[in-house]
Amino acid sequence: MVVVGGLKFGAIYSLAALGIVVIHKATRIVNFAHGAFVLAGAYATYGIVEAMGLGYWPAYLLVPIVTGLLAAAVELVTLRPIRQSDMFALITSTIFIGIGLSEVYRLVQNTEMLGVPNPFPGRPIFIGDVIITKEQIWVFAGAILSSLIGVAIFGYARLGRGLRAMAANVRGAMLCGYSTDSMNALAWFLGGALAGLAGVFAAPSKGISPELSISMVTAGFVAAAIGGFDSLRGALFGGLILGLAETFAAAYVSSAMTNAISFLLLFIVLLWRPEGLFPEAKIRDV
Amino acid sequence: MSNKRWRALAGTLAPSAAVLVVAVLGLALDTYWQYVLAISISAAATGGALAMLVSYARCITIATGAMLAIGAYGAAIPVVWAGVPFGAALVFATALGALAGFILAIPGVRFRSHNLAMVTLVFQSVVIIVLRESKALTGGAEGIHVPPPVIFGISFADDAYFLLLCGLLCALAVLPIAVLLAGPFGKNLRALASNENTARAFGINVRHHLIAAFTFSSALIAFAGAVSAPRFRIIDPDSYGVLTSIFTLAYPIIGGMGSIWGGIVGGGVLRVLPELLRPLADYIELIFCVLVVGTLTFFPEGLASALWTGRRRSRTATSSSASTREWQAPRIATSLSEAESVAAAEDETSERPMLELHDISKAFGALRAVKGVSLTVAPRSLHGLMGPNGAGKTTLFNIVSGFIPPDSGRVLISGMSLDKVPIERRIRLGMSRTFQHAAVFHRLSCLDNVMIGLGRNSVLQGATRSLAAALDTEEIRAERYAALSALEAVGLGARAQDAAGTLSLGDQRRLEIARAIVSRPRIILLDEPVSGVSVEEAQRLRELLVMINRELGVTMVVIEHNIGFLVSLCQRISVMTEGQILAEGDAAAMVSDPRVRLAYFGEREAAE
Amino acid sequence: MVEKLLVHRRAVLQGAIGLATAGVAGLPPAPALAQAAQGVTDNEILIGALGQLTGPFAFIGAPGRDNIQMAMEHLNAAGGINGRKLRLIYEHASTPAESVAAAKKLVENDKVFVLIIASGSTGAAAAADYVRAAQIPTYNTVGATPIIREPFARNIFHGTIPPASVTGQAMIDIGFQAVPKATRVGVLAGTYAFPQSHLAEIEPRLAKRGGLEVVVEKFDAAARDYTAQLVSFARRRAQIVLILGSFTEAGFAIKQAPEKGLTDCMFVLDGSAVNNAVIPLIGEENTKSVWGYFNAPYFPTQDDPPIAGYRRLLIEKIGTLPQGRPNIYDLIGYGSTYVLAQVLKKAGRGLSWPRVIDAWETLNDAKPSDMGGYDVIFPETVTPTDHQGNKKVASARIINSSWRVVGLAS
Repeated sequence: MVVVGGLKFGAIYSLAALGIVVIHKATRIVNFAHGAFVLAGAYATYGIVEAMGLGYWPAYLLVPIVTGLLAAAVELVTLRPIRQSDMFALITSTIFIGIGLSEVYRLVQNTEMLGVPNPFPGRPIFIGDVIITKEQIWVFAGAILSSLIGVAIFGYARLGRGLRAMAANVRGAMLCGYSTDSMNALAWFLGGALAGLAGVFAAPSKGISPELSISMVTAGFVAAAIGGFDSLRGALFGGLILGLAETFAAAYVSSAMTNAISFLLLFIVLLWRPEGLFPEAKIRDV
Repeated sequence: MSNKRWRALAGTLAPSAAVLVVAVLGLALDTYWQYVLAISISAAATGGALAMLVSYARCITIATGAMLAIGAYGAAIPVVWAGVPFGAALVFATALGALAGFILAIPGVRFRSHNLAMVTLVFQSVVIIVLRESKALTGGAEGIHVPPPVIFGISFADDAYFLLLCGLLCALAVLPIAVLLAGPFGKNLRALASNENTARAFGINVRHHLIAAFTFSSALIAFAGAVSAPRFRIIDPDSYGVLTSIFTLAYPIIGGMGSIWGGIVGGGVLRVLPELLRPLADYIELIFCVLVVGTLTFFPEGLASALWTGRRRSRTATSSSASTREWQAPRIATSLSEAESVAAAEDETSERPMLELHDISKAFGALRAVKGVSLTVAPRSLHGLMGPNGAGKTTLFNIVSGFIPPDSGRVLISGMSLDKVPIERRIRLGMSRTFQHAAVFHRLSCLDNVMIGLGRNSVLQGATRSLAAALDTEEIRAERYAALSALEAVGLGARAQDAAGTLSLGDQRRLEIARAIVSRPRIILLDEPVSGVSVEEAQRLRELLVMINRELGVTMVVIEHNIGFLVSLCQRISVMTEGQILAEGDAAAMVSDPRVRLAYFGEREAAE
Repeated sequence: MVEKLLVHRRAVLQGAIGLATAGVAGLPPAPALAQAAQGVTDNEILIGALGQLTGPFAFIGAPGRDNIQMAMEHLNAAGGINGRKLRLIYEHASTPAESVAAAKKLVENDKVFVLIIASGSTGAAAAADYVRAAQIPTYNTVGATPIIREPFARNIFHGTIPPASVTGQAMIDIGFQAVPKATRVGVLAGTYAFPQSHLAEIEPRLAKRGGLEVVVEKFDAAARDYTAQLVSFARRRAQIVLILGSFTEAGFAIKQAPEKGLTDCMFVLDGSAVNNAVIPLIGEENTKSVWGYFNAPYFPTQDDPPIAGYRRLLIEKIGTLPQGRPNIYDLIGYGSTYVLAQVLKKAGRGLSWPRVIDAWETLNDAKPSDMGGYDVIFPETVTPTDHQGNKKVASARIINSSWRVVGLAS
């Protein structure tokens, strides 16, 4: 039962991590604003489900598009001008963009937390000793499915090919006719869409508040790091591992450990296998 | 002369003096503003510390909140629980901060950029969690009450007294950091942030320097936390959370990454902004974010620099190459004769080959880059290394400099094995080099670039030399003189104060050479020294190299694609292809060797 | 005594340095700390207040500001206090650093006559510490932690919210009102300041009751998943669970309880979670098992005349009410201002700090209606040795999708 809860959150983390990895693979930037995109997705869910009363199905389709566009817009306006700068400027920018977006949310919606109803309310299912709710199944299945679709797009579709070309060799890709500008925008759109989807899934169980952005970017980062920052598959597994670790630690050690465990895990991964569990080949120049 | 000494000293003391002056001026204000100013001063100290980590070493740290907390609790707990006097508690808290920085850095500096940021975030979160959980010691989430500082029986509860105390303490605390940053230690940090590998080649141990940077800055940040805590009356873990760390990051970014002033001014102003803009209290955090992103995008050097360098930019950066200037060749020997020479005496007597490579092999996965290369370079000779692209020449150089360990084989300098000698130490053994892509430290002046070339760049040396620079001692002046001489020898004497990034490519290559010779090395490895320069410039560089070889007796190994250049410069040439030495011998003989022509031009050409 | 010495030293130092600076820069010397009648002019009394306008506790500070403002407007329209109108300066403050700065600005810069601390937790504690030295009459309207109350200070008065010891006991009493014969009790406490101070009061009191199996679980403020804690309660078949946390935290915990196996259990929420926004979170099916304590005689959505009348006023002032408003802090802001007005009126036309403190210390059964307001808070009574104005706690349940006060806790 702890496993089920862990898997559900793990699936959400996988989605978030996937978005981070997609952006990193294609543009070399680690997007610390990712959590804010998740928050945007969760907020948009609230808007569609509660404020406009349209129900959940439109949310799953519209929200990723909205957050994808938001992410692409962020890239266009704030990051493209400094694309030539060093990593320091880029990463710091994303950190502050993330905080800035959370602040905007807080100013717009100055309530402690917004709630959205459970998409699948009703009695839980009992399988032997284990209690599973429909919502848990839905979140797990839905998040994993979306992740697989994301992996598929990046890995196989024609859109994805361009992104992978950029990931391997920027100049080479440009010579092949791919434009850096549109590829970057596409990567951010995809990453943002995945983040938004994670937000839709997370909204009912985690609630919509500014804290969501920090917790999701941390979880996403840890999951991505566990999987090895450049591997999409790794992000998937990393998320699940993290979700399980968190719930197990909370159940068997102490509830205060929920936060600490993700950091501990990150620390261990960075020290022991910095290239993650699914490393992909990298070339170094001197 | 003494005028310059005063100016150097004044420059280093200026940040501390400014802090003190602000504190004294603040006494004319009312108690509320005195309170605000005291807080602002401690934030300025934090900003100064962050300048070291963020502006100079370009590390992203999200652990500042934790360090402030360690300082605050580290001073408060001994006072509250054990009645320790404030002064002693302050020292303890600072030491604790240094230790914390050290502990964070040891695993942390294995990483760069985002991974390092995450390690600091881990540290930050863990510290806060520990503080919150240790209720018995720290009061947990409710915090503890911090009494006003009591020094020799005087209680500093008064706003005015406290402002003076704070100003004095922070001025003193900022001084060592200012000295370090203004001197060679700071330059070394900038160098390693600019180009790690080049820095290492000149003796800068990157890991040690980053650990030192973390340790020093954490100590000062903890100090600032300890000094400001009594004013807050209650300290709780939530006041030192992640958001605090992120917003303190803004201090050096907005203030300016060019010097410690940026951190100090940034910290002082930004901390006080919420007080000045009380009607905008809601929007303060958003304004910060916009300011930071805007600064990074439009003013990469920070707002303070943008306003300040209006002056400096007026001096035009000439990119005229030295070919338009005359330079006196023979003076080099005399001007460098005061500088150290590592093994000149030894070289006179021994006739061992300067460089020996015995059966060096290196494979990268399935690619065998170097296959059993053996090479001998005679002392004081000019030895060329040529071959088509991908032959393995640069890999060989990197093996010799120590960047890549060979899979098998040995490298010997004057008979001494370089096995297990780290990159940073090789310069002390008399090995120096230039790089394929003119790896000068763009943001440092030409003079600073060359001074790094002296190779006295361990953390300890960097620190003592920084102190020497502040006091303008004989020793540092001798170093500067040697560096200036090297610059003059390559014809860049007039550009000593210009930033290396403003030089033309040809001049940058000269700068590299100056940097390579200033330590009077025994051997210099030159990687494509004339690639990308004009024919005239190449000619000049050739004459320069010949002169250096003649006057200083330096052995040179040169990689070049410009065969004419290589032949006119070198006595012996080795030709590499596909990881192996194809042929070796006199320069002229190599050019007409049929095997070499085959390798370069292919079947048809050779057949002719 | 010590404060007097400090004040003198400060005045001397300021005078000396002020003269020196004046000599150099020609600036006027900085004035010494204000005399007794700062903030009072012939037709105005300046009141300062500080609280959180943004951030996680904005639902405490923002209603405070709106309602103090509104109450003052009504009081001024009715003629003011002994011929003077009231004016409010409200400063945002959350962390201790900000709170001390805000308090100093209000007291030393703006020179208010009375200070209202409308925030809780560590920030308020820091401000209270400052105020103890500054000696300005201070009204702590919402702070429950003991740090604000100790050490005792003649110039600090506490209003509607009783100390954690009283409300903690109330939660226990309500729990046993709900399940009189219960023997197994769980406590779910947040790790941040307010729940922890509650926990510190509740644990020993539960122990004193005797014969109970008690299990305590914790959660972080950012926690949204309570699997571990709920499983622990379920394993022990807890009959009562006291939840010490905000409405979101309580909401998620109660919502998740059935799926973790915790059924047939009564939940008791602390006052900050007794809020209609918790109801959609917990789901309709769970509302019957939820009780809570409330620090006012009526829940803000009830229809009794005083509260309905108050709501009309609030809608007039701020237009459509956001989700969850009015909440307890709206009521407290409004009612406390009326109580303060009564104190000021009692002190007479010749206002000074000692006279205000004397008037306050003899306050008896003061209600808003005494000054023409709606009785939305409990009456306040103060003695020279006990500065806690209200000690009553109400019990509340969810009836027909809304909270209602159903009685007193004890």
